[in-house]
Amino acid sequence: MMRVAWAWMRGAGGDRTAQSRSHETGGWIRAVYWKETLEAFRDRRSLLVLIVLPALIMPVVTLGIPYLEQRQQHMIRTTTPQVAVEGVAPNLIHLAYTSKLITPVHTGDVNKALKARRVLAVLELPRNFETLVARDAQPHVGLLYDASDPESVAARARVVDLISRYSQSVVARRLIARHINPRDLLPVVLDERNVATQRQLSGLLLASLLPFFIAMWAVVGGMSLAVDQAAGEKERGTLESLLVTPPTREAIVVGKFLSVLTASVGAVIVVVIAMMVSLRWGYPYVLHTSQKLDVSLPVGTAIIMLAVAVLFAALMSGVQLALSIYAKSPREAQQFITPLYFVTVLPALAVQYITEWQGATWAYLLPVLNTFFGFRELLLGTTNWGHLLLASVSSAFYAALAVELAIILMSRESVIFRT
Amino acid sequence: MSVTQQIKLTDRTDAGDGPRLLVEARDLERKFKSYHAVRGVSFQCYAGEVFGLLGPNGAGKTTTIRMLTTILKPTSGTARIAGHDVATEAEAVRRSIGVLPENAGVYGRLTGREAIRYAGRLYSLPPDELEPRIVEIADALELTKHLDRLTDTYSKGMKQKVNVARALIHNPPVVFLDEPTSGLDVFSAHSVRDFVLRFKAEGRCVILSTHMMEEAERLCDRVAIIGGGRIRAEGRLAELKAETGKDLEEIFMTMVGQSIVT
Repeated sequence: MMRVAWAWMRGAGGDRTAQSRSHETGGWIRAVYWKETLEAFRDRRSLLVLIVLPALIMPVVTLGIPYLEQRQQHMIRTTTPQVAVEGVAPNLIHLAYTSKLITPVHTGDVNKALKARRVLAVLELPRNFETLVARDAQPHVGLLYDASDPESVAARARVVDLISRYSQSVVARRLIARHINPRDLLPVVLDERNVATQRQLSGLLLASLLPFFIAMWAVVGGMSLAVDQAAGEKERGTLESLLVTPPTREAIVVGKFLSVLTASVGAVIVVVIAMMVSLRWGYPYVLHTSQKLDVSLPVGTAIIMLAVAVLFAALMSGVQLALSIYAKSPREAQQFITPLYFVTVLPALAVQYITEWQGATWAYLLPVLNTFFGFRELLLGTTNWGHLLLASVSSAFYAALAVELAIILMSRESVIFRT
Repeated sequence: MSVTQQIKLTDRTDAGDGPRLLVEARDLERKFKSYHAVRGVSFQCYAGEVFGLLGPNGAGKTTTIRMLTTILKPTSGTARIAGHDVATEAEAVRRSIGVLPENAGVYGRLTGREAIRYAGRLYSLPPDELEPRIVEIADALELTKHLDRLTDTYSKGMKQKVNVARALIHNPPVVFLDEPTSGLDVFSAHSVRDFVLRFKAEGRCVILSTHMMEEAERLCDRVAIIGGGRIRAEGRLAELKAETGKDLEEIFMTMVGQSIVT
């Protein structure tokens, strides 16, 4: 890689032999790139992974999951849960009915009923509950619920609300009986206001979604090409024919690398566009909300994000190609490359929980993680240009190292004829 | 000057007092860790000659060809192809050779024309030379009708023709054919053998690796019988037969039998 770059620079500098050489090297790289990309575009599996899958999956993921969550929340909000009440408390039961917080029911074995989901919670009242309350005692009530069942958890919240309201009405009665204004117990009233703009909230949403999908598709997008272009060539018996032709190993690897990178970046672009379109135009319809998401990015931010994504995809493409060259067969190449998926997706998920690292300069030198910190800053509008430059330069360096490794492996007899 | 202009077949056949020496191997050795695949192999091959490397599987034929085609580095010994050293002038060697490796595959999602054009671009042939050359070579190999079909749809024999075309696109003076008829049906094998004779008539130097005696007898001017990584016998077929009083298959069995014992 460095040698290819050096030859090119010498050619650009006016050295005639070097110019002719760099022209020929450029021709080799173009030939390999053209052939690999043409083959990839004729491969239905590659097109499926590059275009069809992201275009279909992204709307489902970005809208489908929030839709299902919203549907469940709506159901929990609008349905009054059945709660078994053990004991007698006419005032409490009356409040339950009038507030429509729960539907009190009587049942035999409350534990069985809870397990069978005939009731979603059980309220256990002591004997003479309301007599104890009237005597200013502090009776304890029991609440059984199933923490593994979201509907039971929601029923619990409603019972807690019911008991709180009942307690407040009792307190109010007691205070009035003692000629005290209940408002005296609330000397301060808190008024909350959210100052985040719609764009900032959308930025937060994008910052949690985009790095994950970019990481995933930067790997998935180039995987089939990387496997096919090295391990696949070994298996088909075409690699030896290629290696006996004049192009240097550098030119062959760079041509293949650029082809894998094209697929990887292409998949990332399709994913980002599909996600943006889904969020921008699908969100209000699918999620039945008047709230519009402002997910449009300023052109400058979008271009910088694309540049950062290209460098990240370059690192992934270089590593995938190196692993594929080392592998004996396409199957082994896939086994080698699959862990790379986790190596990239985990930092993409983790980045929103390690925000304390975001201020540290060294974090922008860490491969993979530096890209996601950079994305986060860009999407949240807190861009530190020094951080971004560091992340870009270090990613470019790691990508060059990965390509150099691929060239070294391609030049080793023990790797080429590894069986 | 283009690559094809640099290498003119007439330069070889008319050079000096006799045919031009194009392949020269001297004491080639190759070890893979503890395994000694090739031991002291030496031979020469001239323009307009078909030189056969005969031997059973694992004899060292493919390793020898891989050293001569610059894919493997010799552990010791030297070899020159068209005057270029395989170890120090690998690129010049690659420009002078056409190689059909054993079990060579094709790029299934390219058409025959695209596959041949790809090979031409790897040899830096300019488009105005490359396109007529593709037509010419496809015509010679009777591929013209099928040139724009994906090679995945080709028969095995046609795939082999595409590989022959790829190996010859730059008009190389030296051609290496490693078991070129292996796995082919009778008609395809016959067709490949005709190409070999045509290469010879065109003045190329052909190194042919095979384990088929009939093929060697029909095509080769000289043969080297390889066993256990060594050349057990070398010479013109007629001379070998006259010296030993045996036919080629008997000579082969005797020599290879010795290599298995030793």
